[in-house]
Amino acid sequence: MSLSMVGKEIRLSKIINPEDGRAVVVAADHGFMLGVIPGVENLEATLRKIILGGPDAILVSPGQARELNHLFHGRDAPALLVRSDWSNWGRDKTYTLPARSVERIGVAEARDALLLGASGVVVYYFIGYGEEVKEARHMESLAAFARGCDRIGMPFIVEPVPFGERITGANFAELVKVVVRAAVEAGADAIKAPYTGDPETFREVVDAAEGVPVMILGGAKAKTMRDAMEVVVESLEAGGAGVVFGRQIVQAEDPTVFLTAMRGIVHEGKSIREALRAMISGPVRIQVNRNNCIGCRICETICTESHGLSFIPSKARLHVDYIPPSTYTPFVCTLCGICVRECPTQALEFDEKLHYVRLIPERCTKCRRCVEVCPMKVIRWDDVSDLPLVCDMCQGSPKCAEWCPTEALKITPYKA
Amino acid sequence: MNLEGRGYTGKILYADLSEESFKVDTWDERIARLLLGGKGLGAWLLYKMTEPGLDPLAPEAPLIFATGPLTGTITPCSKFAVIGKSPATGTIDDSYSGGFFGPELKYSGYDAVVVTGRSEKPVVMVIVDGEARLEPAGDLWGLKTEEAEAKLSERFKGFKFAEIGPAGERMAKIASIFSSGRCAGRGGLGAVMGSKGLKAVAVKGSKPVRVADPERFERMAWIAFRSIRMSETTVRSLPRYGTANILLTINEAGALPTRNFQTGRFEGAEEISGEAFKRTLWKKDFACSLGCNIYCSKIAEFNGLTVDGPDYETIYALGSNLGLADREAICKANLLCDQYGIDSISTGVIIAFVMELYQRGMVSEKDLDGIRPLWGDKEAIISLTEKIGKGEGVGLALQEGVKRLSEKYPGSEGFAMHVKGLEMPAYEPRAAQGMGLCYAISERGACHLRAYTAGMELLGYGGGADPTSYDRSKVQLAIDRQDEKAVTDSSVLCFFTLYGMRLKEVYQMIVPCTGFNYGSVEEVKQLGARVITLTRLFNVREGFTRKDDTLPRRCLEEPLPEGPYRGQVTHLEPMLNEYYRIRGWDEEGIPTEETVKKTGLKDIL
Repeated sequence: MSLSMVGKEIRLSKIINPEDGRAVVVAADHGFMLGVIPGVENLEATLRKIILGGPDAILVSPGQARELNHLFHGRDAPALLVRSDWSNWGRDKTYTLPARSVERIGVAEARDALLLGASGVVVYYFIGYGEEVKEARHMESLAAFARGCDRIGMPFIVEPVPFGERITGANFAELVKVVVRAAVEAGADAIKAPYTGDPETFREVVDAAEGVPVMILGGAKAKTMRDAMEVVVESLEAGGAGVVFGRQIVQAEDPTVFLTAMRGIVHEGKSIREALRAMISGPVRIQVNRNNCIGCRICETICTESHGLSFIPSKARLHVDYIPPSTYTPFVCTLCGICVRECPTQALEFDEKLHYVRLIPERCTKCRRCVEVCPMKVIRWDDVSDLPLVCDMCQGSPKCAEWCPTEALKITPYKA
Repeated sequence: MNLEGRGYTGKILYADLSEESFKVDTWDERIARLLLGGKGLGAWLLYKMTEPGLDPLAPEAPLIFATGPLTGTITPCSKFAVIGKSPATGTIDDSYSGGFFGPELKYSGYDAVVVTGRSEKPVVMVIVDGEARLEPAGDLWGLKTEEAEAKLSERFKGFKFAEIGPAGERMAKIASIFSSGRCAGRGGLGAVMGSKGLKAVAVKGSKPVRVADPERFERMAWIAFRSIRMSETTVRSLPRYGTANILLTINEAGALPTRNFQTGRFEGAEEISGEAFKRTLWKKDFACSLGCNIYCSKIAEFNGLTVDGPDYETIYALGSNLGLADREAICKANLLCDQYGIDSISTGVIIAFVMELYQRGMVSEKDLDGIRPLWGDKEAIISLTEKIGKGEGVGLALQEGVKRLSEKYPGSEGFAMHVKGLEMPAYEPRAAQGMGLCYAISERGACHLRAYTAGMELLGYGGGADPTSYDRSKVQLAIDRQDEKAVTDSSVLCFFTLYGMRLKEVYQMIVPCTGFNYGSVEEVKQLGARVITLTRLFNVREGFTRKDDTLPRRCLEEPLPEGPYRGQVTHLEPMLNEYYRIRGWDEEGIPTEETVKKTGLKDIL
């Protein structure tokens, strides 16, 4: 092994934990390319919160690497990664004026990164242009970076991005595979790649990298922490090597909490529930926040499907009232117990363990008393089965609330 | 094999209003596999049932309400399609609407309803769990859309409706079909409905929609929803500022059509931006369709008025394109369009045309019932909108659309902003070459919703595309977008879902839903291309060829005066050549024998 390879291995081990082969990296280089997005206005303050969560490494621009170098001092400090090129490709209308044509240039060499104390450099690799000449120049630049890194033992992390006019919804996943492989062939030591959306296609990407670690990038801030974590779990299951998350973390409500949870998933093998500190254990109820309801009726649709009735919202065990033109109110089982008390044959009983109303069909005499007395009108009669449709809280994890896009329905702990 | 239980009901209802008769028929798995549903199914039915050259307002002309395999399931944003021959353009017209009518139609047991014939007296078609009948609608005739729907709701509890306003009743060529405030807006299908004496369709059903592999389908639907929850556009831009979130960026690019496309920069853009509406008039967001988690729809409330919208297109049509920067006035004009049941884009472009005629001294107040149509004059704009909506006075001539109007004013063709008779939407094609191609080749005339290249050209989505280029890769971009859109239109899903998920996610839902073992997502994209060729075959049979795939002279010859793309015109011809070549159509834009065979259409037509 050449000396530079020895150094490379040591530095790489600061980023990717050699024990589990995984990493939690925070990207904080947005100000360099997108502008002052939320979360980077005061980068030092944000990074201090992030560091409390224990990231393995943090990616910043060369300027910030110099400016905020003190954050990387000390034995427990995260490793420093330097963004060594610049591009305007991500600058769509969300951030500022969209770029008219996409450009990319190198801004720091491996040696510069070494002087800054970096444990690795990160550069883009683009494919998908209409112009083949530009594509070739990117490969040329990629190879030059790889040589520079090899010479001084600097880990070389490539962020391959398929984009441009020829990318379609049909070829995207396939192109991620192609571009990851090309980056590996050019000498990448690790890859930061977009998640392809599902574990099956992502496994193909990991396979295409032939042992070079593939970490997923986060992209736009997800609506909920849970969604972001779900894709991480899927990518790990498919053989991924962890995350390089930027906006998911710098724009998180509490970056420390988010990062701690992410470490739990990536390094400690926790489930999402465990990582989010299980949030809720024990019996639950559904909390309604009617102001959040947008009337999409996803709750009603998933309710009937998950109770084996396929899709027919009018048979849901909850309902959304519509008052024209735009006021919606969801009604759900509040576990008030009136139906249980009123049922003349004890066909409805309260499950003490999981806290829901259970129907015992053999005891039902079809008197429909429950439908009459339900104050929320969420018990309906099903003519097909000739039985009442009663909410069973999906035995502890109500799907209506899980699928609600606006938290108009929310799972909360049950208190009697 | 039967389609029932695989995202389909497997049944189509054929209603003949002249005979007051109904017939139910099953449809073929072969057709479903090739064309999916929605747009594809509707285009196929229309092709088979329409004699070439048929008057779109004749009793024999079919009006088709079609759903797709994903409609009514747990899928993001399920919509329904209305398909017919457009009285405005004479082409095929497919238009889409939110509201909950589509899912309900499926719960009532039908994938589609095909309406032909003409009732002597106004009727409402009532469909309950597969049973269909006609009921008199004399009391509803003449009512505005929302009044009609309120009355219908009293009479038919728990039903969902699709109805027309007064404009549809009198067969105005810009009349739309409405459903709880949403509409299948473009191309005048409301007039087709009116020509049949059909005021409304009321549906109610209790039959579940079943899918082939529920477990996998639910998993794939979750992934689809999740990807929508993880995209900037669908999580923040659209929910916060509605479709008008793009207005300022489009204006900056000099692509916001202003004063009848005389320029692409509007000095009042700030005042009519999504941000400004959000700050002042919009009070509530809502999901316009089953499963929508994007909620770009907004409700404006002021002075006791409640208005659904306005959306970006309406803000352009009734705002910048008329030189109007008054938000409340735009809302009022929008409300009039909705009440009388007319397309707000076409209405705005018609008024803009009148304003330019006036600017040039080609009309006077005397021709316009005393109205002085000055740019930005809100009283004039509201009066003209009302006259068009009511078909009153000069409104009767205006409701015919810009194309027919310009025929009366020699020398006005160059600034009559339409393609094939459909008025132009809110992207200046001189500032985004791809959009010029999209307008020219859309099967229903100038439409931004058939192949939307503006996202990449002007908004920087997906890394962006050079708006000034008109080369092969720009044409390929348009084709890719058009194919993908044809798939969502046949599914039937809202177009905005593709800002969060990709076609791959749609494919991943379609397979477990239908049980069709499409080999790859590319195969589903090819299905989109097949649907496009099918709609083209319809238009070709109606006599449309290359000469009709064009743009107003203003776009082709007058350089854009402002903005970063100042001095540009649209370079349509080279793009058309390339487009036809890639599609496998000949130089005249006619699909070749080989293409018809290769796409599998030959066997089913």
